[in-house]
Amino acid sequence: MKRKLATVVTAIAVSGLLASCAGGGSSESSDGPIELTFQSLAYQDTTVAATKDIVDQWNKDNPDVQVKLTQGSWDNVHDQLVTQFQGGTAPDIIHDESSDILGFANQGYLADISEYLSDDVKKSISDDVWDTVTINDKVIAAPTLMQTYVVYANKKVFADAGVELPAGDELQWSDLQKAAKSVTTPDTFGVAWGLKQPTAAVMNTALGFDGTFFDVKDDGTATIDVGENELSVPEFVHSMAYDDASLDPVSLTQSGSDVLPGFLGGKYAMYIGGNFLAQQITESASADFDWTVLPPLAGSAGTVQAANPQTMSVAAESKHPKEAAEFINYWMGADNQAKLAQGDWLIPASADARKVVETETEGQTGWKELLATGENLKGAPFQKAATYPQWKDQYATPSLQQYFADSISADELAKQLTEGWKSVEG
Amino acid sequence: MTNVALQSQPLAQGTKRAAPSAKKQRRVARTFQYGALLLYMIFLGFPLLFLILTAFKTPQELQSATPAFLPGQFNWENFAAALDKANLIQALGNSAIVAVSSTVIVTLISLPAAYALARFKTKLRGIATGWILLSQVFPFILIIIPLFMVLKQMGLINSLVGLILVYSVWSLPFALWMLQGYVASIPIELEEAGAIDGGGRLLVLRVIVLPLLAPGLVATSLFSFISSWNEFFFALVLIQDPALQTIPLALARFVGAEGQVQLGQLAAAALLATIPSLVFFAFLQRRLTSGLMSGAVKG
Repeated sequence: MKRKLATVVTAIAVSGLLASCAGGGSSESSDGPIELTFQSLAYQDTTVAATKDIVDQWNKDNPDVQVKLTQGSWDNVHDQLVTQFQGGTAPDIIHDESSDILGFANQGYLADISEYLSDDVKKSISDDVWDTVTINDKVIAAPTLMQTYVVYANKKVFADAGVELPAGDELQWSDLQKAAKSVTTPDTFGVAWGLKQPTAAVMNTALGFDGTFFDVKDDGTATIDVGENELSVPEFVHSMAYDDASLDPVSLTQSGSDVLPGFLGGKYAMYIGGNFLAQQITESASADFDWTVLPPLAGSAGTVQAANPQTMSVAAESKHPKEAAEFINYWMGADNQAKLAQGDWLIPASADARKVVETETEGQTGWKELLATGENLKGAPFQKAATYPQWKDQYATPSLQQYFADSISADELAKQLTEGWKSVEG
Repeated sequence: MTNVALQSQPLAQGTKRAAPSAKKQRRVARTFQYGALLLYMIFLGFPLLFLILTAFKTPQELQSATPAFLPGQFNWENFAAALDKANLIQALGNSAIVAVSSTVIVTLISLPAAYALARFKTKLRGIATGWILLSQVFPFILIIIPLFMVLKQMGLINSLVGLILVYSVWSLPFALWMLQGYVASIPIELEEAGAIDGGGRLLVLRVIVLPLLAPGLVATSLFSFISSWNEFFFALVLIQDPALQTIPLALARFVGAEGQVQLGQLAAAALLATIPSLVFFAFLQRRLTSGLMSGAVKG
């Protein structure tokens, strides 16, 4: 028996080794069609399906340029790309986000695709958004879908409290504070915000008050200035949590997904989070859950938020940058972008695609307001500050967490952010 | 399992029967022991139970503000979605090939090496032992790029052979360290007795040492199998072809950006991925104790 078992196990091992010898390594035939690899990070089932459809359609229409789709994951794409670039095995077409690819672009791993992009693609995206993927006049990606911070509202809680839902073209932070206060009861908080990782949210929404934080030079070095504008959003949050008691302070220690059950369960009247969370609401809410998206949050500078679009880039080492960029032009088509945006509840960077989404989602909960939050996005200085990631992890996140836990003052927060930056900049 | 302590033993001449109070104390102590054991089993088993229950819950149940411990009904949709979306069967096959192959390689190499380390007292032994320990402190991230370059030169990127090679090399030092401890614990006198009886070194190894070493070999194999089965980072970097993905890579498919997780599907996939490991462990764990010191007493 033992001998049989050993024989079987050894046979499996040997056959495994032999079988696996046949695997691996992308091949490229010299006289066959060009084969491009495309690593997609699509996550929601609908977006995965849409991605596959687009690639299949391209392959059908372009027999000479075949795109091979591989599936990556947002969670670990950075580590994967680091080794792929170093080892020269990066995919031809790379799906990522602008804040992640700037470092790769600075190291020369991404091709300048400006000469290959079609006029339609160039025209349909605002200069502010193009700015997020442009380094030293080189366009290192096409911006695709964008995330914004929006306010979701439970209509029933508002109705039960006899409070009218905020309406209009924008929602001032001061009006959000008033609304939150008026619907707060002993059983219900007016608002919740999952700010476990607070830095990105604060940096993105601070632009609504002209809070830029940094003055960045061409080489990526920067100086920091934390003034009244930069502190506006944190102070609103702090005031709602500790002066008004209308914002649940526990939610400030949780992720956006952690806070969602409380919103769906009627514990919170409003919920601030990324627009992609709408997908989870539609998937997880009970059939009678009545929700909506409120108008875009606005500060003294309007409804501006930072644009950190998802991106499609071409690896500098790709043997076929022109064909890869042609696929990106196809990918950027309004109908394709609209299909992908609806799958993830994200906002297309392309104005043409936004129009398609608007038409296709007419009458559906939340879409009109979500799209409105995407009308005023622009690049933020922090995205181009070379040591921002280090500052974010070592100083900004812990300092903001301390402030949101009410253990330091706004002045101390500003001091810690400033001194932290000086420390990482050397 | 026979409980020797509970078997009645004939009292030797002159010994007194244990006093009732001592018996009672023993009973109380035993009750506490079993109670502690039960609590420990619950502590160990709860994550698995939670995983099973989560796998059967609907998205609505998982996002409920008042979560229930038990699912409302046993809903198999998560399993169907997991199998469909993550190509789980193929990933299980790949993981099995990689884990079994690296386990066999590690065991075959570490067995003679561990014996040599334990029995031959040379200067090399101290150096080798030091190097084994030192190799365990290198973080993955430190070696991944050089390793990637080396494998690329060898044409082993994006192939299961490359992954098997990496896992074997990665598991080998610790397996060697474990196994040489087991070898060292076998009394050398047993081998000497075998030699006096006329057995050559290989015969002594096969007839005396190997049966006594069986539990150690099983423990080492389990360590090697589970570490290969669960490994994520090397697989992430070295494997790009979807057809060659291992189970941990397939599971990553259920985690999105900004902390989004398709929890029900992830739990279902993780449960399916756990089963082969559990079967492997259940099959081998009996052998962890069987044969322990068997044959040590010459009849």
